[in-house]
Amino acid sequence: MTASLLQRIAGGDSAAVRECIDQYGALVWSIARRLSRTPSDAEDATQEVFLDIWRSAGRFDASQGSAKVFIAMIARRRLIDRLRKTSAEPPMEPVEALEAAAWADPGTASETAIEAEQAARALAELRPEQRQVLELGLLHGLSQSEIASRLSMPLGTVKSFMRRGLIQVRDYMNIDAEGVSARV
Amino acid sequence: MTDKRPQGQQDEATVDLLIKQVTEGLSPAEQRALDVMDSATASADLREFERAAAAITLAGSAGAPRLPPALAQRLAVQADEHFAAISGAHTVQKVTDLGAARAAAASRISPPRAANRISAYGWLAAAACLILAIFGWLRPPLPTGPPVARVAAPSAAEQRAALLAKSGTLKVALSATKDPAAAGVAGDVVWDPATQRGFMHFSGLAANDPAVHQYQLWIFDGDRDQRYPVDGGVFDVPANAGEIVIPIRAALMVHKPAAFAVTVEKPGGAVVSSRDHVVALGALGATG
Repeated sequence: MTASLLQRIAGGDSAAVRECIDQYGALVWSIARRLSRTPSDAEDATQEVFLDIWRSAGRFDASQGSAKVFIAMIARRRLIDRLRKTSAEPPMEPVEALEAAAWADPGTASETAIEAEQAARALAELRPEQRQVLELGLLHGLSQSEIASRLSMPLGTVKSFMRRGLIQVRDYMNIDAEGVSARV
Repeated sequence: MTDKRPQGQQDEATVDLLIKQVTEGLSPAEQRALDVMDSATASADLREFERAAAAITLAGSAGAPRLPPALAQRLAVQADEHFAAISGAHTVQKVTDLGAARAAAASRISPPRAANRISAYGWLAAAACLILAIFGWLRPPLPTGPPVARVAAPSAAEQRAALLAKSGTLKVALSATKDPAAAGVAGDVVWDPATQRGFMHFSGLAANDPAVHQYQLWIFDGDRDQRYPVDGGVFDVPANAGEIVIPIRAALMVHKPAAFAVTVEKPGGAVVSSRDHVVALGALGATG
């Protein structure tokens, strides 16, 4: 269903385009808000992300993952690119709000996407401070240096937590998808 | 003499760079360092880390906020412009002068926010450049097919007739209200839920001065909050138009079309209508 949606978009189907905005708008908007410095930046970024989606829809391969992950990947790439091009100002959310991310329950995350459930299961096995590093870096767009400073944690530890966390999630996804262990 | 590090250490350095690229991006120096180490394996690893980061993003996005309706409408207009640029359909879409005026009006309703910061002429120039850039960017992969003969575009009336002949198409009669501007108005809406295309057909709708006010169609969707009907597009009626057919361009997906209304709005239309001047109304099931 979702695979055919992106295929229809690649074919220029205007109904599919509107369906896509309807279905994935909240996801892109959520990522844009977290990884932008101001609300107006988030709106501009959302428009750029959807332009990227229209351009990339033809490259979607359902065997490589869900449409949601495909769209989240496109959104993250665009947002990170925008963040790098702007000055080193803090993200738009105040520090207090950084603790407020709502992690999906591993038991229900599959309603979002199978990959979200895999990630939630992998994250549940991490120590709280490891999870916090991933949250600050991936959900709130803080750099590793900013995370180290905010958590009063050595940069090397931040890098290590980030590395282990992402590898663990990646391995869960690979094992589920192919039944093989990861490479690194 | 070689300064190569042990294999395991080199892998860890590569992984750290890949993860930094996925989480915050690389500086030019880091990118060059990754390029040196780069290989098909690194490229595949980058994609896997991107997938993992996206999956974590999804897992941490429970209860995501809704997309603001005005932004959703801007996205829909932008998408139309994008796909029109690809297909060269900008010219084909000129089904009537009214259609072109309506498209221009739609652009005025919901320009991208960034465009608000520059002049109208600047925006038009930027939009033209963007369309050319997109077209140019997409040009290389396209020329594999045979040349396509350009055919004359069917008129809006012809398109409406074709849509009416299609199974599943809805036809809703529009009735005049008691608003003074509605005197003598009659018409209908033809809407195909499958393709999200449709046309308005009017007679007796008074000519408008686009500099003073414009007409706007609203589509009530049974699946949405009735306070916020979907924008069906802004349009004008020229003097002595007689019967007119106007393409509908819904800004959002319409899941369950329930009713259609035409209002009089300020030039460029409204994001949310005050509904002070409703000139025509029609509900599904209320009329034949």
